[in-house]
Amino acid sequence: MSIGLVLALLGAVAAAFCAGAGSARGVGLAGQAASGVVTEDPSKFAKVLILQLLPGTQGIYGLLIAFIALSNIGVLGGNVADLTVAQGLAYLAACLPMAIVGYISAIAQAKCSVAAIGIIAKKPDQMGKAMLFPAMVETYAILALLISILAISGI
Amino acid sequence: MAVLQMQRISLCALQKDRKQILELLQRRGVIEINDIMQQDSVFQKTDMSSAQSVFEKSSNAAIQALEILEKYDAEKKSMFAALEGKEKISIAEYYELGCSCDNIMEKVYHIINLSKEIAENKANIIKLKTQIEMLIPWMTLDIPMNFKGTKTTAVFIGSFPSVMAIEEIYAEIARQNAEIEAFNVDIISASKDQTCIIVLCKNKQAAIMEDALRSISFTYPSSPSFVPPAESTKELESQICSFEGNITDAENEIKEYAHVKNKIKFVIDYYKLRAEKYDVIGHLLQSRRTFILTGYVPEWIISNLDEELNQKFDLAVEYENPSEDEDVPVLLKNNGFSRPVEGVLESYGLPNRSEVDPTSIMSYFYYFLFGLMLSDAAYGFLMAALSGILLLKYRDMKPGTKNFLSMFFFCGIFTMFWGVMFSSYFGDAVDVISKTFFGTQISIPPVWFTPINDPMRMLVFAMAVGVVHLFVGLGLQLYQLIRAKRFKDALYDVIFWYMLLIGLILMLLPSDMFTSIAQIKITLPAVLTKLVPYLAGIGAIGIILTAGRESKNWVKRLLKGAYGLYNVTGYLSDVLSYSRLLALGLATGVIASVINQMGSMGGRSVFGVLLFVVVFIFGHLFNIAINLLGAYVHTNRLQFVEFFSKFYEGGGRKFEPFAAKSEYYQIKEEEIL
Repeated sequence: MSIGLVLALLGAVAAAFCAGAGSARGVGLAGQAASGVVTEDPSKFAKVLILQLLPGTQGIYGLLIAFIALSNIGVLGGNVADLTVAQGLAYLAACLPMAIVGYISAIAQAKCSVAAIGIIAKKPDQMGKAMLFPAMVETYAILALLISILAISGI
Repeated sequence: MAVLQMQRISLCALQKDRKQILELLQRRGVIEINDIMQQDSVFQKTDMSSAQSVFEKSSNAAIQALEILEKYDAEKKSMFAALEGKEKISIAEYYELGCSCDNIMEKVYHIINLSKEIAENKANIIKLKTQIEMLIPWMTLDIPMNFKGTKTTAVFIGSFPSVMAIEEIYAEIARQNAEIEAFNVDIISASKDQTCIIVLCKNKQAAIMEDALRSISFTYPSSPSFVPPAESTKELESQICSFEGNITDAENEIKEYAHVKNKIKFVIDYYKLRAEKYDVIGHLLQSRRTFILTGYVPEWIISNLDEELNQKFDLAVEYENPSEDEDVPVLLKNNGFSRPVEGVLESYGLPNRSEVDPTSIMSYFYYFLFGLMLSDAAYGFLMAALSGILLLKYRDMKPGTKNFLSMFFFCGIFTMFWGVMFSSYFGDAVDVISKTFFGTQISIPPVWFTPINDPMRMLVFAMAVGVVHLFVGLGLQLYQLIRAKRFKDALYDVIFWYMLLIGLILMLLPSDMFTSIAQIKITLPAVLTKLVPYLAGIGAIGIILTAGRESKNWVKRLLKGAYGLYNVTGYLSDVLSYSRLLALGLATGVIASVINQMGSMGGRSVFGVLLFVVVFIFGHLFNIAINLLGAYVHTNRLQFVEFFSKFYEGGGRKFEPFAAKSEYYQIKEEEIL
């Protein structure tokens, strides 16, 4: 096993675990707020559940990047490519946007979701607007995802 | 696609027809009552709040009774019971049932009383059970607990708050007072926190005995029984039995009322409607023999309404155009294809007076973008089929639910379309199944291309969609400005931007950078290439000169203009934002293929097939759920943030007609709205 492969693996795994960790924290944070609302008014369950799930997408994007990277370097298919150190570093670099932005944006989005759940608690009819604020944060996770995808498929 | 024109209606009629007129209007649900006229010496408002609150109270009591009935006699409801909608009854039935309301209300109050009785009995049982619990330590005592002694002996029955052995007790009593002689202590029961004892001594030493006992923290029981504890317990138990009997009786009696459930539902509606009517009466200007009603009514309905009112009653109706500064309510009318997204528009805000209703144009983009983000033929089919079946099966469902399901139906169809375009059927399920279980890999070729193999092409397409979307938004702004006859604003705020943006795009297309990204070489005709810089230049100069036009000072104006031109970066980020179409589309496909791959790990065996089925079902359900949410949220975002920011503010007030807002029953009549 070459150093290049290790570096590439490191990148793929980082995308999954950083973004996943961020989403786990985020969904947990929003879940606490959501539970608080449901104790008062169980009928708002569906609405707050949607808001709780919003910071969960980063974890999925991370998984996606990890998956694309792993299948590109052949770890999934079974015929592992022999990567040079430079190639390995390239994969690592390509995965970093998703790993770092995924982690940070998930937590930032979760804070937004918590506040949006507050909107639902007080004004349940403003769901459309409440959903929009966390969705604004997600844009940056999507941009990072995009760059990671383009970079990996370009290597 | 339209905001319906509203007219102000003023209606003057005789008091004797008031009930009929109001009930007719309520059933029709076409007028928003809005009282702008002042009271004077002849026409005055009457306070109807007390009558209204009586009806509300009755309605609430009926709701409570219905809840109680549901608790004791829960009907089995299907998962989709909420979709069933209201039952229809005729006007004749409505009035007939209305007459029997008092009778039903008696039953309602009886049900509520029965439930109160049950609650009281339950509380009593709890009380008795605590009493029994307190008697348990004394159970072996065969004399009454308040027994004080015989002629020559004194008896002390009580407890210590800790564990004490019999020797300890003897020793303690002796230590307290050495004079006490000839006494007997028996332990009745002992537990961690109390030791129950009975002490026997000579009658004349009772006083010193008591002192001695008290000083070692002896206490009498707080509620001693006057018969031996075992007997007392028996009696308490028989009381509990009788209370339990009462509860069963009351419960059975409540269950017998199950057949009036539908009538109670009717009563809830009946009183709710009456309460609403009385609320309206409170807003009417009334004289001794006449009353005046004012409000808003959609213009197109006027001829029908007018005819019906004049046919049935003697009255005078006037219609007029609302004045400029009036806060006229907004009602939208769209066809079946666009109506479903009205809810999305409403959650942002209805159009204000100067704006067009964007629902119709928005609906095309909405379904289109949604489909592009989810883009899987099988997922789209599931969505469309499920919502289609529900829509067919439950035709009477509430309008809000109906809109929501119709929206998903159309979104599903567009998702199918894009799935076929990009060849995604549960991701790459066809390839994986054929390869794993049948040995030969079969692929369905995409009608267009596969985004995962050619992401740059998809990215360019996504941004092109964005440019079209934004330009349509800008076009709507142009239309609004022209409609308002603000031609200068139209030139400054829209035409100049069009020129600049189109110029910039045409300059970008033939450049090497674009060619390397999109891998397509676009060459424009030579004439166009020469003209394009001028086009963009005029646009840019126009914007610099006019964007700050509200400032008189020229220096300030130009600076503001330059800042206005800076807004071109806003357009850049708007267009980049559409790259989420690529990202979310890929996310669906890639997660689906992860699921398929995980499922196929069992290989070609019975176990492999089982594993595949389980992973396939749960995995794809999860993927649909998570990506449906993503597509929904991000389609909304693209509409709200990128599209609406070009032309739309919202802030209109929704048309809230005086209507029969019933919960369970609907009066059968031709619905106008």
